[in-house]
This record gives sequence, structure tokens and C-alpha cells, in this order.
Amino acid sequence: MSADPLQVLASAGKGESTRGLLRVIILLLIAAAAIASRLFSVIRFESIIHEFDPWFNFRATKYLVANGFYNFWDWFDDRTWHPLGRVTGGTLYPGLMVTSGIIYHALRALTIPVDIRNICVLLAPACSGLTAVATYLLTNEMTPSPSAGLLAALFMGIAPGYISRSVAGSYDNEAIAIFLLVFTFYLWIKALKQGSMLWGALCALFYGYMVASWGGYAFITCLLPLHAFVLICMGRYSTRLYVSYTTWYALGTLASMQIPFVGFLPVKTSEHMPALGIFGFLQLLAFLDYVRAAMPSRQFQTFLWMFAGGTFGLSLLGLVLATSAGVIAPWGGRFYSLWDTSYAKIHIPIIASVSEHQPTAWPAFFFDLNMLIWLFPVGVYLCFQELADEHVFIVVYAVFGSYFAGVMVRLMLTLTPVVCVAAAIAVSTLLDTYLRAKLPKPEEIQAAEASEGKKGAKSGLKSTSKPVVGVYAIWGKSMMVSALAVYLLIFVLHCTWVTSNAYSSPSVVLASRLPDGSQHIIDDYREAYQWLRQNTREDAKIMSWWDYGYQIGGMADRPTLVDNNTWNNTHIATVGKAMSSSEEVSYPIMRQHEVDYVLVVFGGLLGYSGDDINKFLWMVRIAEGIWPEEISERSFFTPRGEYRVDGEATEAMKNSLMYKMSYYNYNNLFPPGKAMDRMRNSLLPEVGPTLSTLDEAFTSENWIIRIYKVKDLDNLGRDHTSAAAFDRGHKKAKKASKKRGPRRLRVD
Amino acid sequence: MRWPTLFSLALFGTGSLVATAAAKKTPPEERFNVYHAKALASAPVKLSDPSYRELTSSSRDYTVAVLLTAMESRYGCQLCREFQPEWELLARSWTSGDKKGESRLVFGTLDFGDGKDIFMSLGLQTAPVLFLFPPTVGPHATASPEPVRYDFTSGSQAAELVHSWVARHLPDRPHPPIKRPINWMRWISTFVVLSGGLTVSYAAWPYVLPIIQNRTVWAAITLISILLFTSGHMFNQIRNVPYVAGDGRGGISYFASGFQSQYGLETQIVAAMYGVLALSGISLAIKVPRMSDPKMQGVALLAWASVLFVVYSLLLSIFRGKNPGYPFSLPPFM
Amino acid sequence: MKTSAVFSALVSLLSLASAASSDSNSKSKSSSTSTFTPPQVFKNANLVHVVSVEKNYVKENINVLVENIDKAAQDEYFLPFTADQMSRLGGVEVKDRKDSSAGLFVAEVVEFDQESDIQYLRIRLPKALAPGAQQTLGISYYLLKAYKPLPASIKQEELQYLTYSFSAYLPSAYTTTKQKTEVKFPSGTIPDYTKLPGSGDIQEFPLKQGSKLTYGPFGEKPAGAIEPVTVRFEFNKPVTHVSLLERDIEVSHWGGNVAFEERYTLHHRGANLSSLFNRVKWQQATYYQPTTFALKEMKFPLRVGSEDPYYTDVIGNVSTSRFRSNKREALLEIKPRYPVFGGWKYPFTIGWNSDAKNFLRKTVSGGFVLNVPFLEGPKQPEGVEYEQVQVRVVLPEGAENVKYHTSIPTQSITEGGVEIHRTFLDTIGRTALVIKARNLVDDFRDRELVITYDYPLMAALRKPLIVFGSAVAVFVAAWAVGNLELKFDARKK
Repeated sequence: MSADPLQVLASAGKGESTRGLLRVIILLLIAAAAIASRLFSVIRFESIIHEFDPWFNFRATKYLVANGFYNFWDWFDDRTWHPLGRVTGGTLYPGLMVTSGIIYHALRALTIPVDIRNICVLLAPACSGLTAVATYLLTNEMTPSPSAGLLAALFMGIAPGYISRSVAGSYDNEAIAIFLLVFTFYLWIKALKQGSMLWGALCALFYGYMVASWGGYAFITCLLPLHAFVLICMGRYSTRLYVSYTTWYALGTLASMQIPFVGFLPVKTSEHMPALGIFGFLQLLAFLDYVRAAMPSRQFQTFLWMFAGGTFGLSLLGLVLATSAGVIAPWGGRFYSLWDTSYAKIHIPIIASVSEHQPTAWPAFFFDLNMLIWLFPVGVYLCFQELADEHVFIVVYAVFGSYFAGVMVRLMLTLTPVVCVAAAIAVSTLLDTYLRAKLPKPEEIQAAEASEGKKGAKSGLKSTSKPVVGVYAIWGKSMMVSALAVYLLIFVLHCTWVTSNAYSSPSVVLASRLPDGSQHIIDDYREAYQWLRQNTREDAKIMSWWDYGYQIGGMADRPTLVDNNTWNNTHIATVGKAMSSSEEVSYPIMRQHEVDYVLVVFGGLLGYSGDDINKFLWMVRIAEGIWPEEISERSFFTPRGEYRVDGEATEAMKNSLMYKMSYYNYNNLFPPGKAMDRMRNSLLPEVGPTLSTLDEAFTSENWIIRIYKVKDLDNLGRDHTSAAAFDRGHKKAKKASKKRGPRRLRVD
Repeated sequence: MRWPTLFSLALFGTGSLVATAAAKKTPPEERFNVYHAKALASAPVKLSDPSYRELTSSSRDYTVAVLLTAMESRYGCQLCREFQPEWELLARSWTSGDKKGESRLVFGTLDFGDGKDIFMSLGLQTAPVLFLFPPTVGPHATASPEPVRYDFTSGSQAAELVHSWVARHLPDRPHPPIKRPINWMRWISTFVVLSGGLTVSYAAWPYVLPIIQNRTVWAAITLISILLFTSGHMFNQIRNVPYVAGDGRGGISYFASGFQSQYGLETQIVAAMYGVLALSGISLAIKVPRMSDPKMQGVALLAWASVLFVVYSLLLSIFRGKNPGYPFSLPPFM
Repeated sequence: MKTSAVFSALVSLLSLASAASSDSNSKSKSSSTSTFTPPQVFKNANLVHVVSVEKNYVKENINVLVENIDKAAQDEYFLPFTADQMSRLGGVEVKDRKDSSAGLFVAEVVEFDQESDIQYLRIRLPKALAPGAQQTLGISYYLLKAYKPLPASIKQEELQYLTYSFSAYLPSAYTTTKQKTEVKFPSGTIPDYTKLPGSGDIQEFPLKQGSKLTYGPFGEKPAGAIEPVTVRFEFNKPVTHVSLLERDIEVSHWGGNVAFEERYTLHHRGANLSSLFNRVKWQQATYYQPTTFALKEMKFPLRVGSEDPYYTDVIGNVSTSRFRSNKREALLEIKPRYPVFGGWKYPFTIGWNSDAKNFLRKTVSGGFVLNVPFLEGPKQPEGVEYEQVQVRVVLPEGAENVKYHTSIPTQSITEGGVEIHRTFLDTIGRTALVIKARNLVDDFRDRELVITYDYPLMAALRKPLIVFGSAVAVFVAAWAVGNLELKFDARKK
């Protein structure tokens, strides 16, 4: 693979080795810039794994490096989803871990023993460099102008839309997946142009790698058939298309089925059906093509075409029937929610609850792509000029990419490459037009007019019917060029600013500025996790909301009930129920699940927005999905429909375990009656909540993390409420607080 | 809804309630048979003040599911009208599924028009409300005679949801499933329309073909859809955001404050700006260099370039409004 | 914990081995009886036993005037300990009180049989003591893990009390004519201590003046006489116990740099929390009563000229550290992520670099001399005790005939040897000197470790040559590949 770009680069110079060399150097510089711009977090903080999912990938990678590939392949992890456990080896995309494992061992072999953590941290930036190169190659297939490729590489290198998921430390599947995505597309275009089986096979190979790396491979699985279909509809069927597509589909599907997690999905589920359908359709067309070549008779052809259409329709019908009959699984939840956008919110609250599954508002687009967002249509329009097969690909990709990006924030990632390519085409066209030194001469133009007059008409777009003249005015050229320079400059500044301000904080460590401007690091997460790791039993079960499952597994190294791999809705709902119902209800749940410690995140003291009280409603909703008659979201809203935590809070809210754990002991920090929640800035009730089945075990310095120990059964066999009341010196009078019954009704 | 009038009516009515309620005191199974017969005729049973009281009066060995609704259009209860067909479907299929009344469940509907003072006595401010009165005597008797209330939190409810809710509260009894009637009309109409469309298109093929094959048309379609998607149109679809919202001072605020929110009009404005920017970009890239007349070309060049510049600066300033602390800007909208 | 377990096992093995050896040479001389009792050839004419519990380990000083009551000259003085004490005994140093020129005497543990509870420390007098002659020995040693908190678990704002049990009479192998025992405490608050009937004009022992208790003077006591005594005293400071300290010192001649890294496994052996940690109380306590028995901070006075220190633990960098470096000092102050209370554990790692010329000398004979402190680490008023210490000095690749000498008491050193350590761009691996010691305390900070080794020029040049060679090889290979025809797509014309 490393030979290809070099070879292509060399050939791109058209013999002029100096230009080729220059291009290589520029490309290397761009890659370096791409890597460098992703190191903010390492420089500002340290070499640390970011956020949530990366912590699992990191843990899995360590397991792979420690126990070898085959143990990793059938790894059953009993330290998550207690007591169920998780068949981790069979339920993950191994590409990322295997990649960094290979790098790790390769460096060992070169007697460079690098810590696996650093490899994991720096994998994403390294891949972004490769992505820039891949984008260059892809763009070169689109346009003759070589500058477009370099521009595209530059855009791809620094576009925030891609940086957001590939800064150093965000060790997630997307880190390598985007490179694979772009490179697979490049290979596809290459295969399609040359009708070469070899390139098709390469494409399938990288497609397989992509499948092994990211669930987003479905995007390729749908885009390539779509491209093929559109080409056929445009009457552009050719043996090139046939060879490349069939090669890709046959090999690629086989490759993808090697991944345990994917298994037989490619022949079972609907999101893979288009590829299969087009495959069959192509066979049919090839057959018809052959027949037509054999006997040239008009009626026969028309009949054949009808036949073809008919079969296609029939097969489509058959597909629909099979799906409805259940032979083929219907759309999987996550994927389906892309089409029926209200589906997730009603049926799969877990999916809807993830922030990166929210739809995209326009500022997000501009934030992530800046000026590319309006250069994008220009480039797409330019693709319509001479609408070759590869341009059709860009058009199709553009439309669908932007649709998906609009529906789900995280899919901005799949849109970014095509935006960069299109924008690069646009900018390079502008630059080529306005940087040409020589002024057009009228008589040449007359000649050109005459010559163009005939064949000008056949060019597709009306706007391009007339011949290119060139720009007369020097001032115009200089003005345009300088304006473009300004836009590009702003773009670069924007990207740097966004990267450093928005995408470079490892959400494990929070940074705040002291009055004197110096940086103060708030490290509560690791404080608490380290405490758990050092001062609790090796197998102490930690119950927390699923967001923190991976971090607890990775940093505290303790078993958890639920984590970010949300494969079991019921189990999560159980935790949600325990959190959102009163102690009397949740204590038995926690005993049943052998919970030793409960961990909550509380931002009230610091004004930290990502805390559990803000996520609480999702816990309630998810629990309500399973126990509608025990948990009701409405009962957490005040009669006036507000979500409050202060004195006005509803009974259900005040009695919920989450509320109690968040505010337990909190008001002792303040003078009486002054207890203030700085996050929701509301004044808390005079007397704080009391806990009878839990003990406060640890609270981090800024109260962000609070850990509670689940009490053992009472020695005297009392229930905890009375026991606690007794300890507090009360009489036995304190009654267990009842759950709210149905609304009372006056019948007279 | 026009509550004042209702109140007066209700007050007028309340006097006679007790009497009527006390008057009819028939044994429960009789009552059930009567109403079950009615239900078989037309489910759900249409109730009025007295019948409601009689049906729901305590010492009942059957379950009653009553929907209190306000169908008349003047009350403007959208939800009631949405839910009514689902409710009737549920009642009909349940009753027909259980002719002998083994589940001992009666579906009733009380419209506001017929039972104002019931509404009043229940102190109901909103409609629709669905009550399930558990039996107080007999095998299925429950502890509390209080009815269970179904809350219409997330908009209109499909009959299936309500069915499952009812079934949950009627353990160890038959739960006749919901049978949605096949909507023949719709199928036929779609078929007709489809075939008609096909024939028309076949007839008009020679004229349609050039349009289909016209590259400019496709380009336009593509660009428009791209502009729609990239300007957050899907966000409006999913979150159904307001088109515009009034600011506090009676005026209209076109741009939602905050990075994660937007208005319908806002997105259209943004889409338009993107469109203008893209258009000027296209003209600069394609049109201008193809102009043979130097003067015209100069003018066009200047015009498009300045449009590009100004609109982009405007876009930046709008974005700065959305995202305070965004440092970059271009003249004239600094 | 696993590693420490391994270490302890290893240590016991070693002690066995040493025992075997000493056993053999002792057999050669005398009694091979199962229960050994030293020959009664000495008499403790006068003995002063000073027990200091000021720090979180016990330091005992025995000044004894010994007299040879045998016919023949004698040169072996035995000091008995219980097996349990022996396992916690460290830093034994014996010298002559009268003339310091005599230097330290050899004192080693001899094991005549492992079963018996009494084990002996044999002190070899440099020159045999003539019959009837007298000599004043100053014996000092340390006992680790010596205290028990009482009460064992307290509230986090309460005061911590420790107890220590010992014998009012020194358990000696010989008859003692006259002796007294002094106990020094960190403070004057000693709520309770064992009282003994007095003798002579004193009606009751001990005498208490200030922060000091004195048992005795006692009259003549036979060999092995003991009188158990327990004292309970206030000790509101952390009982810091490092179960394992791994100290790596890496010398780089090319970089002209010496890199230090220390990995601590730190425990708090004080009173546990009776009720779990309460942040509110903690935050209030920091204002109202700053002294607590929780470990809040540690100060590492490093050698002047130390630079770019780091402080991490198993999940990454710890931001709560300060480093003050100037002409006179290089002080690293670190705070644990959380206050360490009794029974809690906090492993962490610190490291720093220093210029090689502060430690490394080139001798006239072409060899090198490295002089580094054997033990650095925190300097706390309450002291720190180290159960296991492993010092590993990584010398450059190809360093030969390594010799070392250290001023740590030989009794504490359990093992020393040379092994191979492979790391960046190594072909044959670097020479690493590994020294293991046990039962040390922070009094031994800055005891030096001197290492001499040879480092030939070829060894110094190996690395650059290998890197250069391999790079050239890669280029040649690339050139060869480039000349091959790897065009898949044969352009058809």
C-alpha cells in the first residue's frame, strides 16, 4: 500500500520530477501540519486517553497486547455488565486495537519499546496524516488540476469536522475509520475508472479493514451500490463498472463476514440488501448486454430492457416481502433511526439519549467546516461540467452525506471528506482561473468562439456552453486572488481556534483559569477513580450511570453494572430504576446485583454541566420504558411542568436515590439556608436529604464525584430506615416514605 | 376552551346529581349485562351524566374504561379528535373479541357536551382523560375503588399502547387483540394514482425525457437539497422548532440565541446566504471567465466578488451572534 | 502487592541461604545443638537502653559496658531478638563508644535453628577482648511496623494514639549487673503506660520528665530476663510505611544525564476511619485544626541541580505538585490525589533528571566512578520507613567489571548483582546493577552508593554505528524496490 501513493505521486508529475518532488514535500508538510494541529491536548495537559469510549478501546488494546490475539478474539469480560458479563471479543470492532497492537510489536521489534498508552494516544493524529494523503489521491482522480488535490489534502488535514474525532487521545474507531473510508473510495474510483480487478480487490481489502474497524462501514455498503445504480440509470453501464463492482462486492462481503461481530449480517439485514440487489442486477445487465451484442434487433432489445426492468421490480418486491415476512431482519435500530427520525426518540431512548446522536443545527455545520460549507455546492456544481463516473460519485456522496450529517451530529465525520474534495475543486478552479498570467487576445477568442461554436452545445451545463476566455483585468485577478487568500487565512485561523478551544479537552481532566490567568486543573475524576482503585476490594461492584462505565473499568479497574456499550436495555433500565426510585425500592435492587459502591457525578458546587442530575431525566425515561407503572417521567416535573431541584421539587424527585446522593451533606458546606446549586443556580431546601441505606464513602475535592457504600444488612434485622433513625437518635416514629399512588379523585 | 360558560352550566347542573345517582341502584351484574349489550351494539358506549354515574357507581364487579373527551370543535381539543378513532377501534375490537363479556370490561365515552358537571365534579381542566375503574366486588375486586388514570404525556396514543395499558391492569382475564381494519380505500386509491401516473408519464415520455436528461435541472436539484441539509433543515424536522419567536419586547427575533438552537426562518435565511455565496462562487469560477466583452466582465467580476465578500462577512457576524466569543470577522459587518 | 509478595519470598530465601552459610562456619567452631545458647563469657557491667518512639518507626540505642569473664579472649558478642523482631529489624550499627576510630563492627544475623523463637545477632569485636577487660559498645538499630493504633479506628477529626510494647529490661544473652531503659516520645501526652514497682529510693517506675520516661536503674538481672512494658502515646501524624520502593538510576553518557525514577508503594499504618471519609468535615478541618493524622503532603529535598521532575500514578499525571529549584535547593512538594488515612494505600511514581557531572567522575585509569545517594525520598518530620528497597542502576550499554560500595548498614542489604536491561535501540542490552535492601528508614537518606565501571570507546560508538548502518540498509532496500517494475496497470496502446 505504501508503494501506491509514491507511484501515483511520481506519475502525477507527468515526468517533471521536480514538480513531483515538490508535491511530495508539500504533501508531507500537510501531513505534518495535520498531525501537529491535533496535539493541543497533549501539550496542554498530558498524554492521556480522552472521554469515554476510548477508555474501553484502550483497555481492550492492553488486553490484546498482554494476552495475544487469540485470547483477545474469544475474550469474555466478567468485569462489565455484572452479573451478565460481556462477550467482548465477539461484540467489538477489533480493527483499532489490532492496528495499535501491530504498531506496538513492530516498534518492539525495532528495539523501540514505546508505552502502549502513547501509541493509543497518538494513533489518531498519525492516521489523520494518512487521511490527508488519501484525500489528495481521491481528489486527483476527480480533476486534472493537481493543485486541487493538495488543497483537498490541506482542508482534510485541518477541517474541524474531522479533527473533532481525531485529536491526540481520542482513541476511537473513527480515528482510523475515516482514513479507511477515504482510501476505500479512492480505490473504488480507481477500480471503476480502469475496470481493473486488482484495484477492485484492493478496494475490497480495505473495505474489509473498514468493516473490522467501524460500524459506519454501512455508509460505504450503501454508497457504492447507490453510485452503481445511478450510473446504470444514466445508461452508463459498462464492463468497467461490472468488473469493479462485482469484484468489490464478492471479496468485500467475504472479508466483512470474517468479523465475528458482523458475521452473517451482510446477507441477513436490510442495510446490506441494496448492495446484494445491485450485484444481482449487474449480473442481469451483463447477461442482457451479452445477448444484445449477440443479436442486434431493436424489438428484441426493447423487450429485453422491459424484461430487465421487470425482473428488477420483481426482485425488489421479493425483497420487501422477505423483509416483512422476517426472513431478512428489518433495519437495525441505530441505522433505522437515520430514516425515520422520530423512531429512536419513542422506541430506543438509549440511542436518543446519546448526545452525538442528536440532529445538527446549522451553527454546528459552520463551526466544523467554516467556508467549505459554501464552497461545497460550488465544487459539486463544477462536478456537473463534465459528468464522468467519478463526478457522479461525488454528487451522490455529497447529497447523502449531507443528509446523514443533518440527521446525526456524529455523521458530520462522513460528510467532511466530500466537502473537502468539492471545496478543493472549487478553490483550485478559481485559483487556476485568476492566477493565469497571460491576458486573453481578442482574435484568439474569435477563433475559439468559432471552434467552440460547434461542440460547445454538447457540453451538459447551459452555463458552460460558451468557451473559456480568461480574465482581462489585472486588478480583477489580483483582487480575487487576494480575497481568496483572505478567506483561506480566516479558514486556517478558524480551524486552529476551534481545535484549541472546542476539541482539545480530554473531558477526564477539566481546566479552569485562576484569577491570575494561570491554568488550574480540576482532576476530580481521576482522584475518585484512583481512590476506588486503591482502597476498595478488587471485585467491588460499582453502580453508576452507563456513561462512566468504561472510565471506571479503565481507570478504577473495578467491575461495573452497565457501561457505554449499551447492548442490554433492561440492565440499564434497572440501574435507571434504582437511581430514580426511593431507597426502599432501590436497596433490594442493589442487593440483588451485589452492588458495593454507587458513584454519582455532581456538578452543583462547581457549576459543571455534565452531571447526573442533568442526565437524570434520561434515566427516568429509560426506566419508564420497562416499568411504566412504577416510574413515571411526569412525576419528576412540578405541576407547572418545570424540572426543579430546590424546595419546589416534586416528592418523587426528592425521594429519588439520585437526588439524595447528589445533595447528601451538601448543605453543611454552606451557612444554614444558603445551600446553593451553582449548576442549576437554585437555592436548596434548608434541611438536606437523609440516606439510610447508603454511607458516604468518598467525595472528590470539588464534589464532582461522590461515591457511596451500600450498607450491609442490619445486624439487628431492622430495616435501614428505622436503624438510621435510631442512630440519629429519633424515635421509631419516622415512617418509610411511600411512593405516590394514582391521583386521588373526588366521587360524590 | 370556553370555561366560564361551562362553569355556569355545571353549577346549574350539580343540584340534580345526587338524586339521579341515588335513584338508579341496580345490582352490578345486571348493570354490566345492560351496558355490555349496548357495547355490542356500538362500542364504546356513549355515556351521559346519569349513565356515567350509574356505570361507575361503587360495588361493581366489572371494570369500566371511560374516556372523558371534548369532541366539539369549539373546544379546540386537537388531541381528543386525534385519539377518538384509536379509542373506538380499541373498544370495538375488544368488545367484538369478547362477545360473552368474560373480561367484564365496558368501554364508555363521555363527551364534555353530555357530561359537563361530571367534568366539573372531577375538577378536570384538560381533556382527554381516560379512567379505568377497577371492580370493587367479585373475583377481580381490587383494594382501592379509585380509578386508574392514563396520562397522555407524549401526544396522541396508538390503540396498541392503550391496549397494553388496559391489559396490564386486567390480569388473568382474556385480552382480545386489536384488529385494525384493512383500509381498502387507501390501497385502491394509491393503485389508481400509481397506474395513472405511469400511463401519463408514458404518454408524456418524449416531453419528460429531455427534462430528466437535463443536467442543469439535476444540478439545481442537487444543490438545493445540499443547501437544505447543510442549513439544519433536518433539525427543524426532528425537533419541530418554531418558525420565529418573539423576543421579550414584542418584536420578532429571527435568530435563536444559543449554539444548539435555531428557528425555521433562521435556517432559511442561512440557506439563502449559502446559496448566494455558492452562486457568486459559481459565477466567478464559470461565468465570468467566459465573458468575451472586457467591460461586462470587469463589472460582473466586481459585482460578484463584492457580493461574495459582503455576504460572507454578514454570515460571520451572524455566527458570532450565535456563538459569542467567536473572534473572527470581516468588514463591513465587524 | 504481588511484586512485594515475590520480594518477601525472595528475601526469606536469601536469609535462609545466608543462614546456611553462617550455619556452616559456626558449625566449624562450636555447638551444633538444636537450641543454641551463647556461651556465658561476657557480663554487661552497665547498660543504658534508649528507646525512641518519636518517629513512626522505633530507634533503639544500647550503650553497654561489656566485660570478659572467661579465661580466654573472646570476640563474639551475641544479642538476642525474637523471630518477629528479627524480621522487622534493620539498620544495625555497632561501634566502640570510646574510640570512634575503630569504625563500625561487623554485625550479622546468625540462624542456628529457624524453629526457635530466639534469634541472635552476632557482633564481632575487631580485636578479641582479653579476659577481664572491658569495652563499651554502642549498638543502634531500628524496628519497623512497631506500633499498634489504639483505638484501632477513630473519627477523621479525632487524635491518633499509638502503643508500643517492649521489655523494661533489655533481653540480653548475658547477666546484666546494672541497667536502665529510657523512652523518648514525640510529645508529653502519654495517657497510659505500664507502672513497675520501684527499687531503692524510687518507689515506682517509670519516672516521667517532659516527653521522656525512664525505667530503672535496675539491679542485677539474669540472662534473658524480660519485663513486658506497654506505652500508649499521642501521635497525630501519619504512620507512613513504604512497603516497596523501586529506585531506578539511569546513566547516559551521550546525553550527559542521570535520570532518577522512584516508584513508591505507600501505606498508612495508623488508625483506620471508624466512619467513612467525609469531605465536608475534611474541608472544615483544613480551616479549624490543620494537624491531622492523614497524609496530606510530602517534601522531597532533591540534589541541587535536579530538573524537570514528574509525579504520576497508575492513571497518569498528578497535577498537585510544586517544584522549587534554585542555587541552594531543589525541593519537590507533592500532594497525594486524596488525603491518605489509616489503612489506605497510595502508590505513586516520581522522577527527575540531573546533570551527569554532578555524579559521574572519570578516573585516571579510564574507568568511571558514579556516586549517587543510595536512598532519597521524602523528608517528613514524622519519618518514613521502607520495608523493601530495590535500587537499580542502569549503566550504559557495554559497561564492564562493575563494582559497588555503599555505606548502608551491611545487615540491611539482602542482595546485590548485575543483570541486563533492554530498552531503546539496544542490541546487547545495558548493564544494570541491582541492590536490594530491607528495613530501612529515612535516617539513611543520602547514604552514598559508589559504583566503578569501565566503558570502552567501542561500546560508546556501538549505538550510533548500528543506527546509521540500519538506516543505510533501509535506503538501499528502498532503492532496490523502487527499481523494480511494480505497475499493476499495463497501459495498453
